[in-house]
Amino acid sequence: MQLDPASRPPSVLSRLRAAACVLLAVGVPAVAAADETSPRYQLDASTLLYREAGRVTVIEPVARITRLFEGGGSLGAEFTLDVMTGASPTGGRPAGGIQTITTPSGNTQTVSAGEVPTNPFRDERGAVDVDWQQPIGTRAGAATGAHFSLETDYQSIGVSEKLSLETMQRLLTLTVGGGYNRDDVFPVGGTPVGLTSNGERTGVDRNAKEVLSVMAGVSRVLTRRWLVGINASRSKESGYLTEPYKVVSVVDPATQEPLTHLSELRPSTRQRTDLLASSVYHLSRDILYLSYRYYWDDWGLRSHTVDLKYRFELGATFLQPHVRAYAQTAADFYTLSLANGAPLPAFASSDQRLAHFNSLTGGLTYGFRLPGHAGELTVRAEYIGQFDRLNLNAPAGEDGEEGEDGGAPVTPDPFSPLSIGTLTLSYSRSF
Amino acid sequence: MKRTAAFAVVLALASCGCAATAVQPWDRDLLAKQQMRFVPLRMEYAVDQHIYFSKEGSIGGHDVGGGGCGCN
Repeated sequence: MQLDPASRPPSVLSRLRAAACVLLAVGVPAVAAADETSPRYQLDASTLLYREAGRVTVIEPVARITRLFEGGGSLGAEFTLDVMTGASPTGGRPAGGIQTITTPSGNTQTVSAGEVPTNPFRDERGAVDVDWQQPIGTRAGAATGAHFSLETDYQSIGVSEKLSLETMQRLLTLTVGGGYNRDDVFPVGGTPVGLTSNGERTGVDRNAKEVLSVMAGVSRVLTRRWLVGINASRSKESGYLTEPYKVVSVVDPATQEPLTHLSELRPSTRQRTDLLASSVYHLSRDILYLSYRYYWDDWGLRSHTVDLKYRFELGATFLQPHVRAYAQTAADFYTLSLANGAPLPAFASSDQRLAHFNSLTGGLTYGFRLPGHAGELTVRAEYIGQFDRLNLNAPAGEDGEEGEDGGAPVTPDPFSPLSIGTLTLSYSRSF
Repeated sequence: MKRTAAFAVVLALASCGCAATAVQPWDRDLLAKQQMRFVPLRMEYAVDQHIYFSKEGSIGGHDVGGGGCGCN
């Protein structure tokens, strides 16, 4: 039987043509439909539960809504509430006997023998952050941010701007940015006069603090799987940088017993710089994040931070262990105490944040989706521990230990090391 | 000043792209993933920055500026 030409099997080429036409015919409305249904909003929410052994408990809910625009821009607003309760070490030393100290609000407080003096407090902090991201052409973008936060004794207002540019076939991204913060510190009970002990007040209720910061960075696609980046930032702080509720003990040089507590005093300027190197590497399935930061400032504080995360991709879920090592040196004017009778230094603080210390963070994040639900949930538990203090909550020795040179006694560090547990629940979905 | 100069050198080396090969648009499937960012989990990053800021003497990271607090 002779086949009718019309009923011949089509050639491969004509089949391909037909397939292409079908794909195009199906694809065009599909793309149009994707535009119509592409998410226009993103909702992010998280709650932090923070517990610091013997000190502070914090609950911090955060909600963020982002409007996504078709051209790639976005407008976001973030609302944060901090509820803090507990007690913070004043910086004063424990004594062999009972101490009576005056709290910032003017009340007297009895501290038992061997106990580290603390300031009990309860505070709420509310913050609003707004950010607007806008592409400029096809290779550049701008991100503008504004911030406002308020708590009982502190207010912060800030703005920031960041510009980025992609070059070299989008292998290289250059970023520059700057920010300005105008904060006010209004201590409960007035502003103490630094390095005095009699409750003297400066008479100034609102103390200004300004922060000007700049940053520059470059990120580089090295391979299909590897992205690296370097960021540098510098900030200049000026104004009231003292912690109004922290004190420094004046001790008897022979017994190390505290005789009185002076309000701490810090310089009125601080210049801070940091370099951050980051890497993100995609293995066959999992992802490795690694970063290192070096920080230094003109208060003499230097620090090294190494941060490592490994994301195990487990199909629809992921598991991400996290390790962070941190080490800092003490600020030049940090001291555990001042010797009675010695001339007062220009500045002095016993704030543990300015002390030499090393800490380790270990944590685990689990990310998953609920069946039949579009959003993603993550649960993270972390622990931050300080591992360089040998003397845990022990009262000062009566005579102090002999120094290496057999001369001046070594002042034991009475403050308990950091021990912080956190639990963070986060939720994210687009709609 | 020495550190600034060192940073400039590192920046120049990073941008010269000596070790990199071109990654074509069709090879960017992995890089396009949300998790291939320096900060893939934004909310957790913000929480971390706040905690470390309130407990350590250092600052600095991927952001510029940011809100202050009278963290005790």
